[in-house]
Amino acid sequence: MDTSEEEELSSKMAFLEKFMDMDRRWVYLLSWIFVLAPLLYPLGLPIPINQEAIKWYDTIDKIPNGSVVIFAPMYGTSGMPELFPMTVATMRHLWSKDIKVIVVTFWTEGPLVFRTLLTQVDPTSYGKVYGKDWINLGYVPGSETAMSSFGRDIPGTVSSDFIEGKPTTSFPIMANIKTATDIDLIISIETGTPGATEWLRQWQAPFGVPMIVGCIGVSVPGMAPFLQSGQISALLPGLTSSAEYELLLKKPGLAVAGVDAVSMSHLMVVALVILGNIAYFATRGSKGGKK
Amino acid sequence: MVDLLAVWTAVFFTLALYSILYKDTAWYRIAESVYLGVAVGYGVSLDLLYVRNQWATGGWATPGVMLGGFIIALVLGVLWYFRFVKQYFYLYRWPLSIIVGTGIGLALRAVIFVQFTDMIKAQAKLNLWIANDMMTTFNNILIFIMVPCVLLYFWFTGAKIRETAPMKVVDKIARYTMMAGFGSAFGYTILTRFSMFIGRAQFLLGITPNPPENMTAFIVLGLLILASMVGYDLFYKKKS
Repeated sequence: MDTSEEEELSSKMAFLEKFMDMDRRWVYLLSWIFVLAPLLYPLGLPIPINQEAIKWYDTIDKIPNGSVVIFAPMYGTSGMPELFPMTVATMRHLWSKDIKVIVVTFWTEGPLVFRTLLTQVDPTSYGKVYGKDWINLGYVPGSETAMSSFGRDIPGTVSSDFIEGKPTTSFPIMANIKTATDIDLIISIETGTPGATEWLRQWQAPFGVPMIVGCIGVSVPGMAPFLQSGQISALLPGLTSSAEYELLLKKPGLAVAGVDAVSMSHLMVVALVILGNIAYFATRGSKGGKK
Repeated sequence: MVDLLAVWTAVFFTLALYSILYKDTAWYRIAESVYLGVAVGYGVSLDLLYVRNQWATGGWATPGVMLGGFIIALVLGVLWYFRFVKQYFYLYRWPLSIIVGTGIGLALRAVIFVQFTDMIKAQAKLNLWIANDMMTTFNNILIFIMVPCVLLYFWFTGAKIRETAPMKVVDKIARYTMMAGFGSAFGYTILTRFSMFIGRAQFLLGITPNPPENMTAFIVLGLLILASMVGYDLFYKKKS
């Protein structure tokens, strides 16, 4: 190897070593660019519809008329960027059918999430009457203990509704609803604990109530065994699946608008992982490289 | 006017929280404290609302067992605050033990079915051949091999049997399985973090149904916060 080749090699190594020690703020800046650019100038990348979204759509679509569904937004404002689009889409789907919906949450900020939803979706535009077709029971403190109590005695655990503050039993929708056995499906959209595992322990196992779960991406590896075992009938994971569901509903919303940004940001992460690995292996034996 | 104020406040706190990406700044500290304070305050108010409703319409005010139970619950609730009194700290252990005991008891009652026997049943029922669905067949075969390998890996931790040739194969499969699991968890974590950022970016850019005024607030406040952070750094650099 002559001197010029050696110099070229050492300058390449110096670059890779610099890359290994790159200030993390450059990555953050890149993230902002890769997320904001496709939001400002949409690329219109194709959105293939996967099995998860189809199963979610089919499960809700096939709920028989007159059924009673529990809809539980089990997350707070921090989970809204990822879960709110699927929450809105699911409620639109439910309200477009002849189904009675009981909204309840065991997360403190759950009522806030649902109140935001009501600013975007008007149940009366679907011909739904509060107290007859749907009811909001609000937040029930006590986590898993409260979920257990709610399953055994629904009007006893939540004595008044969240919106009007009237006794729960005074609403026509609650006339025949006493325990978990009167419920046909649980739809839990969630970020963590209490969530699906607690619903399974306190509702699905003792009362056999079927359930479907919408969750953030982080929770998917934990939820997958429940889906494979059939304890959960459908699982809608993250923003991309929400976009697919919005497309199935023919009501594109925030999730569809965000898919380009999801694709671009993932491409960026994959590129950085590959570059990071190349730099790591190339500099492993060198003077300044990691051993 | 109130709506506009809400928009600018929300944009300010979003950007103030994201200022941590630059470094730990005063903006971040303010936003973090306000967010935590508001969240706790909101939670406490909802807890109190629930207690009030149960008193007003839940029959807890009816003299008898219900009233007695309500008073006991209230007293136990007050005992939580003895955590802050050194002399009577032991009183705090009463509500703690009752709540932890009740929670564990309720969970254990069903955990054996939900997270143990039902999982074993599902594993036993795995269909290793599904006609016209090669992916599911392949997936089921993988589950059939990998799950017992991981269980055996932990079952025989520290045992001499781990040194035998068949167990070395099992160990290897188990390690690859766990690596695949961790990789999947990491991938989904990245997905979630970016999804959350994208949701917030949509808010900042005022993409429908977010208010379009957000964009102006984002540009103005973003530049101000950035200028303050960089300016602060330059000022101190010069001084030192």
